[in-house]
Amino acid sequence: MRKLWLLALVAGAVPALAGELVVYTYDSFVSWGPAMDIEQAFEAAHPEVDLVWVAPGDSSEMLARLIAERDAGGTPADVFLGVADAELARALEHQVFQPYDPALIPNLAHVPPALMFDSSGHVVPFDHGYVTFVYDSELLPEELVPATLADLTRAELAGKIILEDPRTSSPGLSFLLWTIAHFGEEGWEDFWQRLLPNVLVITKGWSEAYDMFLAGEAPIVLSYSTDTAYSWIEYQSLRYRVITPDGEAFRQIEGMGIVAGSDQVGLAHSFLNLVLEKEIQELLPTSQWMFPVNELAELPPEFARYAVIPERPVWLPPEVIREKLAGWLSRWQELLIGG
Amino acid sequence: MAFPVARAADRGLVRRGAGALLVLLPLVFLAGTFFLPLWGVLSQGLRVEEVWSLARVQALLASPYVHHLLRFTLVQALLSAALSLALGFPLGWLLARYRFPGKELVRAFTLVPFVLPPITVALGFLLFFGHAGYLNRALQALLGLASPPIRVLYSLWGIVLPHAFYNAPVFARFVAAAWEGLDPELEEAARTLGARPWLAFLTVSLPRLLPAVASAFALVFVFCFLSFAIPLSLGGARYATLEVGIYYLARRDLDVPGAAALALVEMGIALGLTYLYLRGGGLFLAPGRRGRPREQLPLFSRPRQLAWLPYLVLLGLIFLGPLAAVVASSFFLPGQGPTLKWYAFLFSAQTAPLIGTSPLGSVLLSLRVGVAATLLSLALGLSISWTLHKLRWVVLETVLMAPLSVSSVVLGLALLIAFRRPPLALLGGGELAIVLAHGLIVYPLVVRMVRPLWQALDPGLVEAARTLGAGRLSAFLTVELPLLARGLAVAASFAFALSLGEMTAVAMIARPGLFTLPLSIYHLISARKFGAASALATCLILVTAGVVWIWELGGRKWLYRNGQA
Repeated sequence: MRKLWLLALVAGAVPALAGELVVYTYDSFVSWGPAMDIEQAFEAAHPEVDLVWVAPGDSSEMLARLIAERDAGGTPADVFLGVADAELARALEHQVFQPYDPALIPNLAHVPPALMFDSSGHVVPFDHGYVTFVYDSELLPEELVPATLADLTRAELAGKIILEDPRTSSPGLSFLLWTIAHFGEEGWEDFWQRLLPNVLVITKGWSEAYDMFLAGEAPIVLSYSTDTAYSWIEYQSLRYRVITPDGEAFRQIEGMGIVAGSDQVGLAHSFLNLVLEKEIQELLPTSQWMFPVNELAELPPEFARYAVIPERPVWLPPEVIREKLAGWLSRWQELLIGG
Repeated sequence: MAFPVARAADRGLVRRGAGALLVLLPLVFLAGTFFLPLWGVLSQGLRVEEVWSLARVQALLASPYVHHLLRFTLVQALLSAALSLALGFPLGWLLARYRFPGKELVRAFTLVPFVLPPITVALGFLLFFGHAGYLNRALQALLGLASPPIRVLYSLWGIVLPHAFYNAPVFARFVAAAWEGLDPELEEAARTLGARPWLAFLTVSLPRLLPAVASAFALVFVFCFLSFAIPLSLGGARYATLEVGIYYLARRDLDVPGAAALALVEMGIALGLTYLYLRGGGLFLAPGRRGRPREQLPLFSRPRQLAWLPYLVLLGLIFLGPLAAVVASSFFLPGQGPTLKWYAFLFSAQTAPLIGTSPLGSVLLSLRVGVAATLLSLALGLSISWTLHKLRWVVLETVLMAPLSVSSVVLGLALLIAFRRPPLALLGGGELAIVLAHGLIVYPLVVRMVRPLWQALDPGLVEAARTLGAGRLSAFLTVELPLLARGLAVAASFAFALSLGEMTAVAMIARPGLFTLPLSIYHLISARKFGAASALATCLILVTAGVVWIWELGGRKWLYRNGQA
């Protein structure tokens, strides 16, 4: 009897199915995003295949893991989902992706050219959004709500802001790039020096930061412009409100690609196509809280009403990021420690 | 006559051959699994394009970021040791001077931090001391405050306080033991000569306690210097120790040579500290004359002793609060009430992607690794302690105990590098690498625990068994092993508990699907799945409590007898 038990355990540990598609992504895509719906739809279309999500970390952390595994001789990953435009340079530099074949992803026809952020043909966009600040209207008095980036440095906001680490998180990196785009190469360091005393904690990833914010640890968090829509649709509350300091927010496009060396190229293409499918794309606004990239996807009316599109979206060209990012990050690290 | 003599000599040779094998096996094993990987760290850190060079280390030593890491590591270790002293010293006094109901329980509790995994402590502090944690919410409700009054997390103190949680009991044990060893007659003599109690304490007892205090201080300082899980989970981006810095370099920035160079810097400092500790230890631990047992007073027999109350409440908050918070969170759904959902979650695959396996898979992995690492550490521990018992060479001891002086992150880094190329790459890595790491971390402690046993064994017993016709092996099995059994059981439970709680080396080498229990808890904390993390942490706390219970039941007398407690 006990042997039977053991057998059952062992059998459970070994994949019994013929095919397996391993997708690396970041933790919040699983805990918030539509990962489970994608899995169901994919396995319905390919009954012989098991789709396995692996997501023990934030986007940069997972990308680092993928690069390290490939350097160490191999990775089980077939697809990587969740490369933000700011991290694209790093991914391409380490050649973690193989080029995709557009003919095998018919849904690409519905993605506007402006969102096709990788001209090298390795990474396909799947959603986009705007990184900005969100405040808790029950904890932050109206007169302290920042209207500009400079307002974030006001002394009254000491210890009231939660940020994400640009070294490990894509919204964190987006904010660093935003400040560089806004204040210029001369001004951003000065801004950060004045901002840091107001920062309660810099977390490794978005889910950690946002959960602290929801728990009431601090009234301002670096997050996404769709958070009021989230607050309204989930809780019929406008407690959490989006601000676009100076009318700006940093544009973020998230992409996915087929891992170089994967032997499931056919399945991987059909996975990319599925994620771009209208039905799946329509899940993104209210699960991932991002805008879909497929033009055919319709936005839920309440989402369309409360999700903020900034007057002036901010971004930096990938070439500039690729060239300067390492220097900016090490300077930021020095600022962090008071240098 | 000549014939039997020759046979005896042969047997002697065989015996010596077997003895030599027993010495050689662990040496060869360590050479392959420890020294070779360590060499990998050296050559990664000290070679630039195939040429030996100090350039990397020099660049690190010149970097402001490394200065910051170093300064923070030293400052937090110093503050942690000081706060541990402040919190632990009175408890030691209390345990030594007074008797009170529940004293045995308190004494047993001081053992818990030795085996309690740091990650459960980090989780407890987040849940209990967070701005929206249990303590602040209770105080806000009680006092009608708009904002949380206790702001200890997200600062230097958010690291120092959990360290004190860990190490104040170390002081309490050291101080209680030293105090119980003091001859009360000296203090009484001072009193007779007219000194007031506090003066007698300051001038007579305190100076005699100082060596124990200094020794504990040094030990705690080194512990905190090498702390990993607590700064990793509670430090945010601002506060990182050298251990965390090495981990980030290797796993986040993918700069393995840089991590190796920083590891060398850290090893240099740690070796220096250990050297100072050992040198000082000789001075500190001079055994004093043991007097008659001190008479213990009942606590709260005089009104003045009520002054202990606030201290005891503070201790209760700091020590029981976080643990209770973990257990409570595992049974509650925020805003809704009691639930067993988080335990049911152990058997579901719902958040499997976050840890690369199901929670149950992670528990089973930890148990498998724990058993294997315990067996490995017992095998190494027995053979090495026997060797060191027979051959007391300082060089041999240094070599055989070397893993003790290498931090867990550095060991993890060494194995990470080593498992990428032959010969270790042939073993495939994965689970085996974790077992190896845990075995190497734990076995020096097993050696320490088992070694006094060999010394305590009466060689006459073995001789008697041999005279009665038993072979060497059967003498070992029938005479020595049963005598060792109790000590071995304690060492095994200790090894098992340490392996279950270890997360430093495993964080360096594990990949998704191979996350042990503490690592899964860490990832669940990062994804803010507190209920699930708490359920897993509660399981870990229960196992730990079981181990402490085994100690208290069977091992304590043994531990005391052998001077380990």
